[in-house]
Amino acid sequence: MSQMSMEKPWQRWLIRFGVFVAMVILTVPGLWVVLTAFRPNIEVLARPAVWIPQQWTLDNFARLFGQSDAQQGLPVAQYFINSLVISLTSTVIAVVIGMAGGYAFARYRFRGKATLFLAFMLSRTVPGVALSLPLFIIWARLGIIDTSFGLIVVYLAVNIPFTIWLTDGFFRQIPVDLSEAAQIDGCTAWQAFWKIEFPLARSGLASAAIFAFLTSWNEYALASQLTRTTASKTMPVGLMDFTAQFTVDWTGMSAMAVLIIIPALVLTFIVQKHLIAGLTFGGVK
Amino acid sequence: MTTTTEPLSRPGFMEGVAAFFRSPRAVPYLLLLPAMIVILAVVLVPLLVSFWTSFTSYNLTKPATLFNFVGLRNYQRLLGNEDFWWAFGRTFMFVTITLNLEMLLGLGLALLINKITWGQRTLRTIMMFPMMFSPILVGFQFKYIFNDSIGLVNNALFDLGLISQPIPWLVDGTLANFSIIFAEIWMSTSIFAILLLAGLMALPKDPIEAAKVDGCNPLQVFQHITLPFLMPFIYIAMTIRSLDVARAYDMVRIMTNGGPAGRTELIWTLMTRTGYQNSQMGMANAMGYISILLSIAFTVFFFRKLTAARSFMGGAQ
Amino acid sequence: MANKILVRALLASCAVVALSGAAAAQDFDYGSFPDYTLKVKLIGGTQYEKLYTRIPEWEALTGAKVEIVSSKNHFDLDREIKQDIATGQITWCVGSNHTSFAPQYGDLYIDLAEAIPAEELAKYVPGTLKSSMVDGRLVQLPRVTDVSNLYYRKDLYEDPARMEAYKAEFGTDLAPAKTYEELKQQIIFFADPPNLYGTAFAGKDEGMSGRFMEILRANGGDLFDENWNPTFNSPEGVAALNWFKEIYDAGAVPAGTVNYTWDDIGQAMAAGQLAVDLDWPGFAGFYSDPSASKISDVLGFAVSPVGSAGVRGGWSGSHSFSVTEACDNKEAGTSFAVFLTNDESAMMEAEAGNLPTRSKTFDDVINYFNENGKTALAEMFPIWQASLADARTPPLIPQWIEVSNVLWPQLQAAIVGEKTAQEALDKAADDARIILEDAGIL
Repeated sequence: MSQMSMEKPWQRWLIRFGVFVAMVILTVPGLWVVLTAFRPNIEVLARPAVWIPQQWTLDNFARLFGQSDAQQGLPVAQYFINSLVISLTSTVIAVVIGMAGGYAFARYRFRGKATLFLAFMLSRTVPGVALSLPLFIIWARLGIIDTSFGLIVVYLAVNIPFTIWLTDGFFRQIPVDLSEAAQIDGCTAWQAFWKIEFPLARSGLASAAIFAFLTSWNEYALASQLTRTTASKTMPVGLMDFTAQFTVDWTGMSAMAVLIIIPALVLTFIVQKHLIAGLTFGGVK
Repeated sequence: MTTTTEPLSRPGFMEGVAAFFRSPRAVPYLLLLPAMIVILAVVLVPLLVSFWTSFTSYNLTKPATLFNFVGLRNYQRLLGNEDFWWAFGRTFMFVTITLNLEMLLGLGLALLINKITWGQRTLRTIMMFPMMFSPILVGFQFKYIFNDSIGLVNNALFDLGLISQPIPWLVDGTLANFSIIFAEIWMSTSIFAILLLAGLMALPKDPIEAAKVDGCNPLQVFQHITLPFLMPFIYIAMTIRSLDVARAYDMVRIMTNGGPAGRTELIWTLMTRTGYQNSQMGMANAMGYISILLSIAFTVFFFRKLTAARSFMGGAQ
Repeated sequence: MANKILVRALLASCAVVALSGAAAAQDFDYGSFPDYTLKVKLIGGTQYEKLYTRIPEWEALTGAKVEIVSSKNHFDLDREIKQDIATGQITWCVGSNHTSFAPQYGDLYIDLAEAIPAEELAKYVPGTLKSSMVDGRLVQLPRVTDVSNLYYRKDLYEDPARMEAYKAEFGTDLAPAKTYEELKQQIIFFADPPNLYGTAFAGKDEGMSGRFMEILRANGGDLFDENWNPTFNSPEGVAALNWFKEIYDAGAVPAGTVNYTWDDIGQAMAAGQLAVDLDWPGFAGFYSDPSASKISDVLGFAVSPVGSAGVRGGWSGSHSFSVTEACDNKEAGTSFAVFLTNDESAMMEAEAGNLPTRSKTFDDVINYFNENGKTALAEMFPIWQASLADARTPPLIPQWIEVSNVLWPQLQAAIVGEKTAQEALDKAADDARIILEDAGIL
């Protein structure tokens, strides 16, 4: 970045200070949840406040996995597997279907194109709460309530519009000539796509994938309606296991929250190089 | 697809359809077919069902009422329902305020981070930290953070000696709305920041260098070069966020559930209470339809802006 | 006054002993259902799930298998059951239920009085069983009862400086309040915010409606008259609402209390921030647990106060089990419901500090607590049991939750000063009237 050298030192420090403040605001509320996961309950209530846990404890995690006499564990491992299976499957399928759709919008002229594109976007505006009951009724008739399959299909619909959007912008960046040249060299259209256009679009797909994954991984409103037992319950729905009618087990919930955050964080860190590149190309022009 | 028992004219029609699907004209439709099927099954069909129920007195615990057609009664009642229109207006304000603030803060954040050269990858991950939080978790988190007796914020203010009486964050009309807006902004500013950062990184360097050579000050550079270039990104981010802003429902439900005294009531909280707790699904779906109109208005507004900004950029439509 | 209550409690418990003595001879036949899988929907949450460790015993006893098809907190379970009704998918046999929720479900559940011998039913606390009826049908078997009573901090009530100051100010000795008027006075007296508040109350949802109803009834009013006309905007109602408003305006409760539900109140009391707490029995275990609560050694119990009419509001409700009409083996379902509420099950609930629903258990559990050094809980039980005599549920009509949902936002509006008590209650009464008219009750 050439601009950096042109700034005066005080400006540079001001920027650093600004970044620092922003990072503090973005992380402290979340880190506080992480700290709570390692506290005994009595510290949560303490007054004056206990900022850094004075007694670090893994009890909350032990309770989570039933390694404590006080109460039964929760089927956290099963929730975790459900979440992972549902989020990954729906992400992969949404990216494939969305990519096909995005390619159609980027490469072809056809009747109703603009309307169709807008219709896809608008399908996302329907709030989950408005869909939940009719979806439930239909899913119940089809017998796919409380199955991973049922939830995967719903998440496809949630993620496809955004994937179409990103990939559409992305394929438009890639000159048509490239694929045409490959076809002249004897490739079929299908081969040309996989050998030329797909690799170029990869980071766009990666960014679509991370958004799709995070959305599915964290979704609650629909999952809470359509899942019921360990057969399909996901982690965010599992969080509610900590609320009974009269109490909320906040330390236990925090421990589970940590288990939700870690995989998402790791994945984001790995993919985020592609993410920026993907969004850079994908969005505009 | 069986054609044996179809009337005479049908085989011709079916062949026409078949021929169309074999022709090159069909390729884009075929590519879009899976996406259309999914949206149809998951969004459109349920929407039609709930559209029907909004004209009935459908009560959740009395399945027979699903066929009790009452015409426009639900909508008429809503038109005269003061609480509903307050919730509607508040939702409108909530969406407008949060989207604009998120955009401004996200832009600021992106500009700052773009200036940092060392450790940017880590910074970007930290910046995306709130995106890892499920909205329902954000709700619980801020419910505790803004709790007036054991909350983080009041504890901090006490320890700093800034207050002697706790501040009722989730109770006072203004503060409660501030709190849910703050939580929403915390949750979603990152999405703006990451999209705008992508825009900044795609910013061509030549015009900026040229402008500097011509003696433009940084503010002028920002105003005349950076900002116009970023506009499409801003509208994209706005459109994307306006699409899923209803995610905030999970969070508000946990933090205040519309209270106290309806001071933070949004359409989504009112609707869910009407539908599930009061079992009045027909009425709830009528509210749902009015709220969908609101979302559509926002999205179409930003989408148009986006199209305009794109054509300004000279990109393809 | 106190004597009268004591006499009543004694009479009640004598009657109970006589009944259970007669019935003990005959044991319930749990039947045999080999290879049958019973599908159940149970309330989840840590304090409810301990009982489910008894399920394998029932399986061994009857040869059936139990499949828990759903386990959620009660509000989510309620929503799920309504969805099942909506889709006609009642594929399960036994569901957790609650007296406040039960009237909503219509004829989803069977009348257990027809399925269970009278001598077995006689073993349940009669009043509790009575409030489990909807339209004359016993749709649920109660497992634990909630009734509100006072928890207080002995260290504050026995603090010499405070005792003296109280005596000087009010001319009476500082002791747990006998009337709501006295309670209000003490709440304001103790408050020393931000470190100590007089109390906190559930300020939203059914909790708020229930607390209001309790004082309303204690003042001699009620929510509805016998023809279901809303009457809570009566002078008694205004007085009840002003009770909350006065302690709120005095700053004697945390300002956030209008946004609190039980968990917040429990946390605040356990943290030592409240002087008294009018609450359900389930918190006794929590408050007296030294590892979770700061007030475990200073916890005192007292029966809930009376209102201006000299009676207790006695807001109560019971958690319960119900058997569905659609069940393919109602005998197995009934057997399961009885098993999870029998004497051993009730004992298990009671040992955790909950108020059991079987008459026999009250004496048993007091012995148990005394033998195990849990004197605080042993002390609590007779007090709680006494208040059961006055226990009253919210109106057992399907529209209760809906009425509650128009009531509590108005109560809040009055408490935080947006409306006067009369205006708020009038508005809520109008809305409630519409609901009941639509339902064909009015």
